[in-house]
Amino acid sequence: MNNLKIAATERSPEVDFDFERGVLVLRGESYPEDASAIFGPIFSALETFLAEGEKREVKMDFDLTYFNSSSAKALMNMFQMLDHAAAAGTKITVSWFFAPDDDTMKEFGEDFSEDLKHVIFNLVAVEDAA
Amino acid sequence: MSFNLFDAEEKTLEQAEILRAGLTDQPESIRTGINDLVDAFSRSVREQRRLVRVSDRLQAQLATVNQELARRRAEAETALGDLQAAQDSLIQSEKLASLGALVGGIAHEINTPVGIALSCASHLADSTAGLRKLFEADNIGIEDFERYLATATDTTTLILSNCERAAALIRSFKQVAVDRASSERRRFDLGDYVRETLASLGPHLRQAGHTVKVECPAGLILDSYPGALSQVLSNFVMNSLIHGFDSGQTGTLSILIDQPTPQWVRLIYADNGKGVPESDLSRIFDPFFTTRRGSGGSGLGLHIVYNLVTGPLGGSVSVEKAANGRGVAFTVTLPLSSEI
Ligand SMILES: Nc1ncnc2c1ncn2[C@@H]1O[C@H](COP(=O)(O)OP(=O)(O)OP(=O)(O)O)[C@@H](O)[C@H]1O
Ligand SMILES: [Mg+2]
Repeated sequence: MNNLKIAATERSPEVDFDFERGVLVLRGESYPEDASAIFGPIFSALETFLAEGEKREVKMDFDLTYFNSSSAKALMNMFQMLDHAAAAGTKITVSWFFAPDDDTMKEFGEDFSEDLKHVIFNLVAVEDAA
Repeated sequence: MSFNLFDAEEKTLEQAEILRAGLTDQPESIRTGINDLVDAFSRSVREQRRLVRVSDRLQAQLATVNQELARRRAEAETALGDLQAAQDSLIQSEKLASLGALVGGIAHEINTPVGIALSCASHLADSTAGLRKLFEADNIGIEDFERYLATATDTTTLILSNCERAAALIRSFKQVAVDRASSERRRFDLGDYVRETLASLGPHLRQAGHTVKVECPAGLILDSYPGALSQVLSNFVMNSLIHGFDSGQTGTLSILIDQPTPQWVRLIYADNGKGVPESDLSRIFDPFFTTRRGSGGSGLGLHIVYNLVTGPLGGSVSVEKAANGRGVAFTVTLPLSSEI
């Protein structure tokens, strides 16, 4: 299936989904006025990709520096989607990046990963996140 | 008992667990259905908790940013205030410096005529003493007396002219030190006033034979200092007569007045005479800048103009080459009310 590449805007993150290699990246800030406009295409691509059901490895990176409440809800939905797919047999590794001095982002990562049962989850501190 | 934001949800979940436990004899489909519902509800409560945390965090960040913003704004305002104070004191010291230059220049200018008058007076005193000696010794000859008369005539002429020159310099100095409070302020019709001022200069103008043009919208009322304005115009006109044209040469002097914005008028004074060399244009308003030193020019006329326009009249003045390349043009911008 086609890769999904969307450039970042001032209020929405960069989307870099390389489905061929199974490497998916969300990077930047996310506080769109209309969350569904931003996350709608992301979800439908992700859904199609995960439904292909091939037993393969998927890496998904969340490299976010700021997000609003609806983006948070969308992220949780995405986490649940990934966990379902992992339960069904896809090997999924999620990495949550945060700047070492950004405790908030780190705690959100911990918080959001609470419900993950089947996904391999990593918290990764990086010097120059975003 | 500590307050729990999600007390009701937790109680509901407990109830649901009890319900689930009591379902053992229900059919399989009901048990899975209830199971899924309870799981979904408990997930939903967890998500709610996270969302509340996210939202609280965002509000807190926003508040911090706002505080920071207010702090920076206060800082910027203080800095601006400091800057304005510094600027004021700069302007003040600039004024003092130009006053100092003016006083220095005045002293220098007055020194010459006063020095000449002084040496003439002492020469006259010496001659008088000599003559008295001869007179008292009854030894005075007609030649001695004639020589003395010649000396007295020469020295008194020089003393008189130099004292007059000094007095004239002191008069212009008084004008330079424009005293705002002493000059009268009133409402007047600009066009009428300009024509009156020109009429008072009539003898000079008629003698020279120049054409004078005045254009001004009718009924333009200024609330300002007419005395200062007429002094400005007189200086312009006298300069045109003295510097703009050689004797016998005639030209045109023009005063065009318009109102570019509701609160401001613009007066363009121009002549079509010899004009001012490019290199002199920037110094023309400086005190003591004159191209006629030694033949009556003190170089204070346009400096007075500058001080009057920017001081009591509250406007600005600039000089350009006349539009057609001949002569000189002064643009004076004045507020309708000199207090704005
Ligand atoms: N209309 C003009 N045309 C040509 N030159 C001018 C004109 N007006 C001013 N100037 C030049 O600007 C110089 C400065 O003028 P300003 O009125 O300050 O002094 P001044 O006329 O020389 O002496 P004062 O006015 O003190 O008797 C003049 O000496 C002259 O060179
Ligand atoms: Mg003059």
